[in-house]
Amino acid sequence: MPKAVNFAKRWFAERGWKPFPFQKEVWAAVARGESGLLHASTGAGKTYSVWFAALNQFARPAPGPTEQKPRKRKPVAAPLSVLWITPMRALAADTARALEVPLQDLQIPWSVGLRTGDTSSSERAKQGRRLPSALITTPESLTLLLTRADAQATMSTLKMVVVDEWHELIGNKRGIQLQLALARLRQWNPQLVIWGLSATLGNQEHAQQVLVGDRGTTVHGKVVKELIVDTLLPPSIERFPWAGHMGLRMLPQVLAEVDSCSSCLLFTNTRAQSEVWYQALLEARPDWAGLIALHHGSLSREVRDWVERALKEGHLKAVVCTSSLDLGVDFLPVERVLQIGSAKGVARLMQRAGRSGHAPGRPSRVTLVPTHSLELVEAAAARDAVNARLIEPRESPYKPLDVLVQHLVSMALGGGFTPDALLAEVRTAWAYRDLTDEEWEWALAFVRYGGLSLTAYPDYRRVEPDEDGIWRVPDARLARRHRMSVGTIVSDASINVKYWSKGGGGGSLGSVEEGFIARLKPGDGFLFSGRLLELVRVENMTAYVKKATGKKAAVPRWNGGRMPLSNELADAVVEKFDAAARGDFSSPEMHIVSPLLEVQRQWSALPRKDTLLAEVLKSREGWHLFLYPFAGRHVHLGLASLLAWRLSRDTPLTFSIAVNDYGFELLSATPIDWSERLSTQLFSEDELLADIIASLNAGELALRRFREIARIAGLVFSGYPGAPKSNRQLQASSGLFFEVFKQYDASNLLLTQAQEEVLRQELDVARLEQTLSRINNRTLDLHVIKRPTPMAFPLLVERMRESLSTEKLSDRIARMVSDLEKAAGPEVMT
Amino acid sequence: MRPYLSIQLAGAELWLLADKAIYYPAERALLIADAHFGKAAAYRRLGQPVPHGTTDDNLQRLDALLASYDCDRLIFLGDFLHAPESHAAGTLSAIQAWRDKHHGLGITLIRGNHDKRAGDPPPELRMEVVEEPMFLGPYALQHEPDPHPDFHVLAGHVHPAYRLYGRGRQRLRLPCFYVLPRVSLLPAFGAFTGGMNIDRAENSKIYVVGDGAVWEAV
Repeated sequence: MPKAVNFAKRWFAERGWKPFPFQKEVWAAVARGESGLLHASTGAGKTYSVWFAALNQFARPAPGPTEQKPRKRKPVAAPLSVLWITPMRALAADTARALEVPLQDLQIPWSVGLRTGDTSSSERAKQGRRLPSALITTPESLTLLLTRADAQATMSTLKMVVVDEWHELIGNKRGIQLQLALARLRQWNPQLVIWGLSATLGNQEHAQQVLVGDRGTTVHGKVVKELIVDTLLPPSIERFPWAGHMGLRMLPQVLAEVDSCSSCLLFTNTRAQSEVWYQALLEARPDWAGLIALHHGSLSREVRDWVERALKEGHLKAVVCTSSLDLGVDFLPVERVLQIGSAKGVARLMQRAGRSGHAPGRPSRVTLVPTHSLELVEAAAARDAVNARLIEPRESPYKPLDVLVQHLVSMALGGGFTPDALLAEVRTAWAYRDLTDEEWEWALAFVRYGGLSLTAYPDYRRVEPDEDGIWRVPDARLARRHRMSVGTIVSDASINVKYWSKGGGGGSLGSVEEGFIARLKPGDGFLFSGRLLELVRVENMTAYVKKATGKKAAVPRWNGGRMPLSNELADAVVEKFDAAARGDFSSPEMHIVSPLLEVQRQWSALPRKDTLLAEVLKSREGWHLFLYPFAGRHVHLGLASLLAWRLSRDTPLTFSIAVNDYGFELLSATPIDWSERLSTQLFSEDELLADIIASLNAGELALRRFREIARIAGLVFSGYPGAPKSNRQLQASSGLFFEVFKQYDASNLLLTQAQEEVLRQELDVARLEQTLSRINNRTLDLHVIKRPTPMAFPLLVERMRESLSTEKLSDRIARMVSDLEKAAGPEVMT
Repeated sequence: MRPYLSIQLAGAELWLLADKAIYYPAERALLIADAHFGKAAAYRRLGQPVPHGTTDDNLQRLDALLASYDCDRLIFLGDFLHAPESHAAGTLSAIQAWRDKHHGLGITLIRGNHDKRAGDPPPELRMEVVEEPMFLGPYALQHEPDPHPDFHVLAGHVHPAYRLYGRGRQRLRLPCFYVLPRVSLLPAFGAFTGGMNIDRAENSKIYVVGDGAVWEAV
């Protein structure tokens, strides 16, 4: 056995480079067999810090050719030693290239391979025979590897796991999937070294704890360099919209900025917005065709690869993108970054800013493009928050049972399991450390009987113990289906979009959500992949399209585009309003928005740090209340539901609820005297949890949450791509499942989970409680308004609404039917 | 509250029932579309857990309808059984027990697309099984909503639902009867069936059901 070599020292010396201190720290820690977390921003050399740590510790130089055994061919590469987990498939190929460079230079007999949803079946088959020395993969694909019956044998040589961009995984269920997979790998090899790479978070200890437990090492990378945040200002506020999120009013200014720099990224918040902006830029500047491009997560891989390559090679003037370009790969030539609309969070804004100005000595710069007037205030606040480095924390979800249920089936496939051993293993995953025996028994019963054993479902058997007590999946068809659905942890049922051609085989453009296509008829136009398309037909989970011209186009909406304003940013916004109320307009943004704030002050008032601003309005629609707690849209939804419930507990009422990041609206079609009803009891912190749960039952939130849970737990299955239509007879919507469970199996824990997830994530009860106590320390500042104020207007026109009702269904139907009759009858002057 | 609404259609009187069925008084017939018996069992067979109770629920509702309206015959407008896997012991024995309680009742099934895949119900259920259309009074009873040259069609298959909008930005989605000049659709009867939103066509009438009543949505 050849001796260990300090590959890092040799390689850096050959290049005349000097390792950063943090890189040496990681090398030393791994040499001691320690796990840990490295905090460093993108492009700071963090890849090589962990990669060389692995090579130094686990690689051996190739045996040189000797006289006795002249080398005939390449030596066999080392067996699987390192797993490199990346959150995005798009990053895998670039990572592979980066990892291969020193292997060639140093003649290390290691191979590097990819395994993601994009990996070809021939490559998979090759890996089925022998995995590469270093495998780059996603959490989903790792779980899939663990469903192989010989998983333990193939992983037996594994020495180290690297989790890249851990901050992108920790807060979601893919991170949970990874926690469970790591628990398994650690079980097989207690000496396994695990390193996370993460951007700076507000709660770094938590991020480390979740990934590697108590005994990890923390290493801090290079400090973030200078960041400039500025704002593209509208020429005047008079013609600037009060609401909206597309922001096309700023098109002329954005065109000028794009024109003046050699390469820039335009970040948008939603895929729909990126499509609209790309189209608008092209229409304004047809001569930029070929020089600008579109990039978002629903486009086909070929398109995304092309854009990324062209960007790196410096061929593109601008790319309109979403968070799909937030991560990874460094695009050296990018000169400017523009953020259209609110960045929603400080960490996200800093990450995007970091995409620009990689040249030495140049600061990173992000320019904010407001989409409506109040975002000017937010822009000024965002700069303050970035300068103060008020970075948000991210928390791991807490024992989600849907992922656990999925994991049980995966493990039953991956060689089978015995319950006691697996329970002990699962509890070593941070999210499940407090998993109770009852919850465990429920999860086992769920995969075996479909529910608690008392109400066992006959005909149902997903997982069963065999004669030796090993739990396995007896049905090959179910096994195949489970493997198909493991990868769907993040995506909604989606439909491929392909060009229509007679013989089939038209080019693939990407995918859109099924719900969007369902609303279109053949012949309808829509905007996708930067093209105006016409729907030809839908079959076998594929929407066939052709190019269209001059049609009115719909823009696909994808779910999940709406994240809440972070606490940190929301607080900074209130500071700005408070300053304005004191007459302080000392920034360009605040200066230009001041006439609008003056309107707000005259018609109502400006929100202050020590007041809770409330506005009430009577319109043709009904009786409105606008309230502005500045706690982010999730908390506002919880608070609005809570108030609606408390208001309608004694008198049956129905409310329509609209929320945004600044406040919310409650709208009733029947009279309500807001001035009288807005009492302090309404905001009481007593009985909070019970009231919120009651409000959930009266509303629709839990149903929405159930969609994701139903998919992960394997209740709904979106079908095999290209499968014959008959399979669709076995598809029911998650909404239908929700209703059936509620009616016939109300104690099903997946329903409980839906409720808990709404409480924890969607409504963020802890933050809601905090908000209530803050509200109770403020004075209510109530204004009766004659017309919607600049702050109320965006809520008034919000179309996405929740509803909450304590009225009898028949009363609601009667009123709506009579509304219809009035609308249909002869016009009556009143 | 009105548990049914009487309408004149193609020259005869029909009662649209709040429990998603039609009673045809002149023929003393109860019409049911899309019961989808055994759908839950078929799902469970394929590893998707659906709770018990949907079959009993369907049968109890049928009992209640047969007790409230004087019926000589019961006609299923297709999709009586959901899938081949619906021939599950538990489901069929429950339906058999129900059938034995109503031994004098004539039952007809007009085959729907699901029935063709699922196979006919067992002979012990004593159901007459026919292809569409079946003629009754001025109506052609069918599963698929294709127009008939001479008769007004009563059909299922679509599972129609309608969205009501009201003041205060309120809306509700409810199962409905959808009456067009030549074809009328029944809502799906089954407890574990979804719905498809319909847009109102010209010269159509929509009757929504909810909370034990039927309402005409103007």
